[in-house]
Order: sequence, then C-alpha cells, then structure tokens
Amino acid sequence: MTETADGLGAWIEHTSAFDRVQSIARSVSEPKPVSYIAEEAHVAENTARDHLERLVELNVLLESESGGTALYSPDPLHVRLQTLRELLEEHDRDGLIELKADLQLEIEERSEEYGVDSPDALRSLAAESESAAETSEIRRSASDWELMLYRLSIVEDAIEGYSEYNRDYRASA
Amino acid sequence: MGGEKNSYNSREASHRALRSIRQELERHPAVTEVRGFPSGVFTEVVAEVAVERWEIERDGATLTVRWFAGEASESKPEFSFHYSDSETDFGWHHEPNPHVDGWGHFQERSGTDNEDYSYETFTFPSEHPSRLVWEIMSYVPTRLEAE
Repeated sequence: MTETADGLGAWIEHTSAFDRVQSIARSVSEPKPVSYIAEEAHVAENTARDHLERLVELNVLLESESGGTALYSPDPLHVRLQTLRELLEEHDRDGLIELKADLQLEIEERSEEYGVDSPDALRSLAAESESAAETSEIRRSASDWELMLYRLSIVEDAIEGYSEYNRDYRASA
Repeated sequence: MGGEKNSYNSREASHRALRSIRQELERHPAVTEVRGFPSGVFTEVVAEVAVERWEIERDGATLTVRWFAGEASESKPEFSFHYSDSETDFGWHHEPNPHVDGWGHFQERSGTDNEDYSYETFTFPSEHPSRLVWEIMSYVPTRLEAE
C-alpha cells in the first residue's frame, strides 16, 4: 500500500530551501553526504552544499570526510545547548528540580516494573517475550527510557549551572 | 574539516528526531499547537490538527508521533504517526507487528475494543523524520474523507 497525496509539495510551499536543508541535516542518525541531504530536502546539490557549509560555520553541524566525500552531521553540543536553553526558558530552578524528580521517578518505576536496570537490559527482555503485544510494549518502554535518560542528563546540567546559565543580559538591555 | 568519526548515540539521535518533528509540525498550516508529551518528559510529540481546514468536522483531532532512532546507526528507526479524534483513530507505523510482513504498516481502528485494529502493509516514501511529517500530514485528510 502507498499513499498519493503531495506532502513534499506542501513542504516546499511552506518552507525555504534553507529550512529544509537544516531540518534534514539536524536529524540524520549518522553523517551523510550532500547528495543524501539534497535529495531528502528536495533542493539542488549546490544549494544544499552552500547551506551546509554555512551551518558548519555556525557550529550547528560537524563536517567530516570519508573516502574524499564530505559528510555532515549534527553537532551534539549544539543540540544539547539548545535543549538546555529551552529548559531554562521554561523552568525556574525549583521547576527544574521538580522535573528531575519526575524523570527519576519514571525511570525507577520502569526499572522496578521490569526488574532490570537499563534500557538495553529491557530490550533483551523484549526479545524473550512470548506475546507480540508485550514485545511491542516493552520496546516502546525501552525507547522512552533512553529518551528520559538523555533529558535527565541535561536537566541535571541545567540545575548545576543554573546561576551561570541563567544570567540574562536581555533583562538589563 | 573534522575528520574524526562521529560516535552514534541512540538517545541523542532520537531526541533530535523528535525536535525536528516538533519543528516541522509547528510549520504545518493545519497544526494549531504542538507540545512534547508527557509535559517536561518529552518522549513523544502531540499536535492538535485543525481538520476544519479540510472541511471535516471532528472534535479533538490530534497527531501523536513517536520516534526511536535505533540501537545502532545502521538500525532501522522505530516510529509511529498516529491520528485520533472523537470518532476514529488510525496511524502509520514502522515497527515490528505480527499482523504484517515487514515493519511498515497502516493500522486503523475497526471496532470498539481497544485492541481491535485492521492492518495493511505500508511502504514509507522516506525514513527521515522531517520529511515524513509533511508526507503523513498530507495523508490524513485523504483518509478522513474516505471514511
């Protein structure tokens, strides 16, 4: 089964070439060449290359090389800082401490429910599960656990550096 | 040029995918609000969909998106884009399911029981989260009109 509606056309209509190149490049799972990013973003390779180089200059992307081909991937530090900034915009210090406790509780509950201490161990349980529905539920729970651990690590950064990170020069401008 | 090999981190890659999905949904003209869910925890993205834009009358129309980038960089991503409103729910999923061959499938509620769905194999036009947002959002009105 396939669908025939024109989602790509709508994406092109409502976004710029830069938006699409940036969006694709920031969400690749592994370093990709210009050709891949240009095709997924539906832009010409030269256009994609120009935008990618600009994003490297801005420290949004990292550029590496394999066999003479330039590869682009998101800078994990940039992603982390973006999330950190969002957390600081959305929560004060008490709110961050509360969020940390919520995440820790969610993680502890999963650990106790399944009797394992990591998402990898939970995935191993999924492989041994007898029912398809249970396997699916366990895999989802393991994925959620991974995401919560990532978010928890940034929340902890935000709490630890709160005073330093939260100096807001806009307030005195 | 860096030259160093990037090491894959499934947590960070999944988080980035969800951020891109949220951003693309915010850009979509038929979406009125987008939020990470559960609040603060952010393991999925929930968008409120203005189906009246397609001259369809339904209450509580939402699209819920999950994304896990895979345990290794070469792994297939596990994801789902699931629409629901006061009358129906259906979605495009890419994950193991015993009712279909392969991972890609479309599932639609076929009864009142929570587990009562019909399934069809589905081939996704891309496995990239940003682009898929727009592809899936274009399928939703077609599906609703066909009901």
